[in-house]
Amino acid sequence: MYQYTEFDRRFVHQRAAQFRDQLTRNLAGALSDDDFRPLRLQNGWYIQRHAPMLRVAVPYGELSSRQLRQLAKIAREDDRGYGHFTTRQNLQFNWIPLVKSADVMDKLAAVDMHGIQTSGNCIRNITSDALAGVAPDERVDPRPYCEILRQWSTLHPEFAFLPRKFKIAVSGAVEDRAATAWHDIGLHLLRNEAGEVGFKVLVGGGMGRTPVIGTTIRDFVPWQQILVFIEAIVRVYNRYGRRDNMYKARIKILVKAEGQKFIDAVEKEYRDILNLDTDGDAQIVTQAELDRVSACFTLPEGVAARASTGDGAPAEAPVAYRKWLERNVHGHKLAGYKAVTLSLKRAGQAPGDITDRQMELAADLSDRYSAGELRVTHDQNLLLPWVRESELYALWQAARDASFATPNIGLLTDMIACPGGDFCGLANARSIPIAEQLTERYADLDELYDIGDIDLHISGCINSCGHHHSGHIGVLGVDKDGSEWYQLTLGGSDGSTLSGGLAAAVPGKVIGPSFAADEVADAIEAVIETYRSQRVAANERFIDTVRRVGIDPFKTAANKVRRSTAREAA
Amino acid sequence: MKFVDPRHDCPRDPWHTVGGEDGPLVTITPASHLLLTLPQWHSVRATWPVTKPVAVSVPNDTDIEELAADLPQLAMVALQFPKWTDGRAYSQARLLRSRYRYRGEVRATGDVLVDMAPLLARTGFDVAVLRHDQSPEAAANTLAFFGQGHYQADVAEHRPLYARNA
Repeated sequence: MYQYTEFDRRFVHQRAAQFRDQLTRNLAGALSDDDFRPLRLQNGWYIQRHAPMLRVAVPYGELSSRQLRQLAKIAREDDRGYGHFTTRQNLQFNWIPLVKSADVMDKLAAVDMHGIQTSGNCIRNITSDALAGVAPDERVDPRPYCEILRQWSTLHPEFAFLPRKFKIAVSGAVEDRAATAWHDIGLHLLRNEAGEVGFKVLVGGGMGRTPVIGTTIRDFVPWQQILVFIEAIVRVYNRYGRRDNMYKARIKILVKAEGQKFIDAVEKEYRDILNLDTDGDAQIVTQAELDRVSACFTLPEGVAARASTGDGAPAEAPVAYRKWLERNVHGHKLAGYKAVTLSLKRAGQAPGDITDRQMELAADLSDRYSAGELRVTHDQNLLLPWVRESELYALWQAARDASFATPNIGLLTDMIACPGGDFCGLANARSIPIAEQLTERYADLDELYDIGDIDLHISGCINSCGHHHSGHIGVLGVDKDGSEWYQLTLGGSDGSTLSGGLAAAVPGKVIGPSFAADEVADAIEAVIETYRSQRVAANERFIDTVRRVGIDPFKTAANKVRRSTAREAA
Repeated sequence: MKFVDPRHDCPRDPWHTVGGEDGPLVTITPASHLLLTLPQWHSVRATWPVTKPVAVSVPNDTDIEELAADLPQLAMVALQFPKWTDGRAYSQARLLRSRYRYRGEVRATGDVLVDMAPLLARTGFDVAVLRHDQSPEAAANTLAFFGQGHYQADVAEHRPLYARNA
């Protein structure tokens, strides 16, 4: 993974010192709460329902065991002993008092971490494929490019106050595991016919009130010019994006409203930077810089292709282990290695939640089995990228002891859920109780396996942090007359192969009026049962059945479970 | 970077506006250090004498490209922050400096906070007229934190870190 230089290290310490100064002035009354707000947001500090929330950046999801131990220490000493991993590969704390915030930033800086641009109307933490650098279907390792983009976007002086937040996701594999079509900018690394590396660039994807799939603005931008091209996009957005209405301020609205005019403006800006600006060509990434950064992303020490020697399992290994191999263990580009997901979806804990002790156990597992590296996945799990096949059985036993071995990756209970109304000041409804009910209801592994691959995504409000639009089943919390209601959508897709590929990325369709809180789990069960009765073969997956038969049979079945909302639906 | 405290520095700041900004155009007699609105400037630019330094205040939704031909005549361009979180003027300033090679003064006006100073300095502003409750000393302090510079190129440093190190 990326190794901080002295410059990088000083930089995060300087940022922490700058934040301490701002906090001190705020606490002394010299900087008003209103004026402090955008400044603290750009360091990851929200004011939430109970206390400030801190969102810690995990750049493109890469984490070391040392960093995870420090996060555990912060959870224990400054929070209430746990954290929450998000779909954008970050970690959130919920209970740190604001007066301690500057100390926490110092603790993060001590392990090369920070909260820079994890919130606010700026370029957010860049996300990527959790299998970057290890996936067998990878065309180009996206991590060096993610790091170059991270550096370019960090405290970019022109783009700190954009019309709205701005999210970039990068994928370098055949399979899009980063939901790129749903981002303000989605980047696909690929090689052209001449074998040169470049990016296909999508722009204007996003969730929220107006779900939009990104538009391809360029099929190929040479890697050397990617910063210039993105600078052109963001400058056009900064100048012309709407600022009169925060619900119409994302770049997707500008792209939709202007269409080809937007694309022409970006192409002109791109040419102007290179042809007209003082040292415009200094933005062209040099081979030397790519080489310097890429050198951090070679194989970790002690990792090398090796002959497969079996997984170390006894002949009569338990069924649970076989299921874990099937769901939680992934192919690897290096012979003799696998990538392994540590499931953070288990009974008794909210999706993506992790205690300080579990963080330490995960750090131990990564030291013992994965060269001290971990990844945070878009689906709110942890992943060990460098596991020897010969150690799989030993890892499974250790992961099981640490409650990380639920063999449910990609299945119904491996759901995405935002923190919802239990924590979030924006939420209209709670997400966690819905997730809990479904986790309890589908505790039976045989049933879960029979249902098969499915993406269930739960958001507590239209801000869509739980990505409900892209769920095969989406749950959206809405507020009516001060009580919690839930809208169900079907057939959404994140653009992964399972969901029909990038071209099939689409928001789900709403099935009727919202359900009452006590009806949602029943409605989802009715939808699942409809699928099981409608599928033509055991291997027809949920999303394929929905696409084949349409949403009506599901809607009819879900309507039958309505009790309090029965009249409204009729 | 110079900070103008509108409460105390006004007597020393030579620039002054001409009344009638929101009403009908007033007749403008050329004088030194007039800060004109864009419509005012358009009404006089053809005949403005080179001996009288003049400036124009540009709304943040104006295409800065439209000003390009006038720049040699302008001693100062005032860019506007109607709200400090509206970042359009950063792009205007950057374009004035990097694309149009403007060498006159670029000043930030409106809702200008001390914590904007690092961004202003890096996008090409050289003067900030601070909001009435802001202190020039505090503004100067905010410039002290990143002594080693930043990653990306800006108006003050044309080369990104990797080009500086090369």
